[in-house]
Amino acid sequence: MVPVIEARGLSFSYPDGTRGVREVDLDVAAGERVTVVGANGSGKSTLALSLGGLLDAEGTVTYFGETTDADAVRERLGVLLGNPDDCLFNTTVREDLAYGPAQFGMSEAAADERIADLAGTLGLDDLLDKPPFRLSAGEKRRAALASVLAFDPDVLLLDEPLGAVDGSYRELILDLLREHEGTVVTFTPTVEAVPRLAERVVVMDEGEVVANGEVREVLTDGELLASAGLRPPPAVRLFEGKLPREELPLTVAAARELL
Amino acid sequence: MSGRVVGTLDALSGTLRSFFVAERVAARDGFLQRRDPRAVLFAVGCLALAATVSRSLVVLAALGVTVLALARVSAVPAALLARRSGFALALAAVVGLPQLLLMPGDPVVAGLPVSEAGLAYAAVLGLRVGVGVGALSLLVLTTRFSAVVAALRALRVPAALVWVFAVTYRYVVVLLSELGSLVRAREARGGGGNVRTEWRDARRLMGTFLVRTFERGERVGQGMRARGGDRPPSPYGGGQSLRAPDYALAALSLTCLLAAGVVQWSP
Repeated sequence: MVPVIEARGLSFSYPDGTRGVREVDLDVAAGERVTVVGANGSGKSTLALSLGGLLDAEGTVTYFGETTDADAVRERLGVLLGNPDDCLFNTTVREDLAYGPAQFGMSEAAADERIADLAGTLGLDDLLDKPPFRLSAGEKRRAALASVLAFDPDVLLLDEPLGAVDGSYRELILDLLREHEGTVVTFTPTVEAVPRLAERVVVMDEGEVVANGEVREVLTDGELLASAGLRPPPAVRLFEGKLPREELPLTVAAARELL
Repeated sequence: MSGRVVGTLDALSGTLRSFFVAERVAARDGFLQRRDPRAVLFAVGCLALAATVSRSLVVLAALGVTVLALARVSAVPAALLARRSGFALALAAVVGLPQLLLMPGDPVVAGLPVSEAGLAYAAVLGLRVGVGVGALSLLVLTTRFSAVVAALRALRVPAALVWVFAVTYRYVVVLLSELGSLVRAREARGGGGNVRTEWRDARRLMGTFLVRTFERGERVGQGMRARGGDRPPSPYGGGQSLRAPDYALAALSLTCLLAAGVVQWSP
């Protein structure tokens, strides 16, 4: 299967010399769910921007096996930036949600329907006519996510989609991403969210990919995670040493069943 | 405790931010809200231009009444309009009020150093600014920003100009929000002190703000680009057909502009 994203030798350093990512190779197949985890400053956000073609990084990223120009396939790529304030630049939430669909030529009727649907799902109904700077952190995150989902891209590159979102909306977003028919790549420092988000996990440390494998294999490897400044999910830690590695629960729900 | 200088910066950023953002009034049902954005844009342009070219107190007062009448039928509270215009009027007062005393001419009241010419100048300047800003406020308050951009495109304004206008407007709101955050962060760690300390803090704050302006601008630019922001603006709201009330509004405003011009240039 042709990867929808094929990154080779991605490297980027910021003007002050801070290393963002170094020699990253990554393939993502169509329809795949991948989560990139790493401690703060490990290079996740830089990788998200580089994969989204929003940073002038060294190396190449080929999209859909067709092109290395992200702008040529921009309407098929949904990039959520780590800071929702950077995604909300219009005067009202409604205008922010309509911005992408309008720029990518979606009909106004289709956009209205999509916005109403997303606003209902993500609890934004009462916020649509508010200026984004009046929203709380969690509301901004939901609005920013909706602004990306509004134009229905094939590939989602979501930097911290669950950050600052409260419990009930967290579940809703997880369900929404699970139901998304395209490819979903998420970037998060929260290891416990990974089993709900992905089938494959990539671990980053100091700008480099230090592990890339199946979720259970990576999340039950305490030594590997510790070397990247991370800890296994609470459910794994609870049963570590008491059960064989292949039987360790990855989620709280699975742990509860065992108890 | 909020310091005076930094507090003023915060108030200034809040006032400007509120000026540029319509919030809920644009969603109300009113005369201008029901009009085609092209007609509203044209009308506001005519009224603002009329206020700029006119030097007649009577014409300026008539234009002021027109703006207030449009506000009333558009469910825009007069107090809100006055608040929005008040900031610009205060700035105009800095320029206009000294002229009361400085302009040569007969005194209005014997014994007072206020000349008739100075009073006329201040009144014309005040009305001109009030009407102009009031008209622009009506546009901001009753028409969604994306509809204004769509109207500009529909009126065949060059795409590059519309793009610059759209990006500038968005950045003003975003950057004022950034300034507000900086001021609050500073206050959270203890503001106040004597005036000298405050000025020093305000200078540092503005320096930090300038640096962050570039950094934030770059990130917002990435956010725009991720959603097609490097393409010509193509917002919704430009495809309606003009109706009789739209033409009436355009005709009214054009009449105001012509009247202002005729009164101004007639012998």
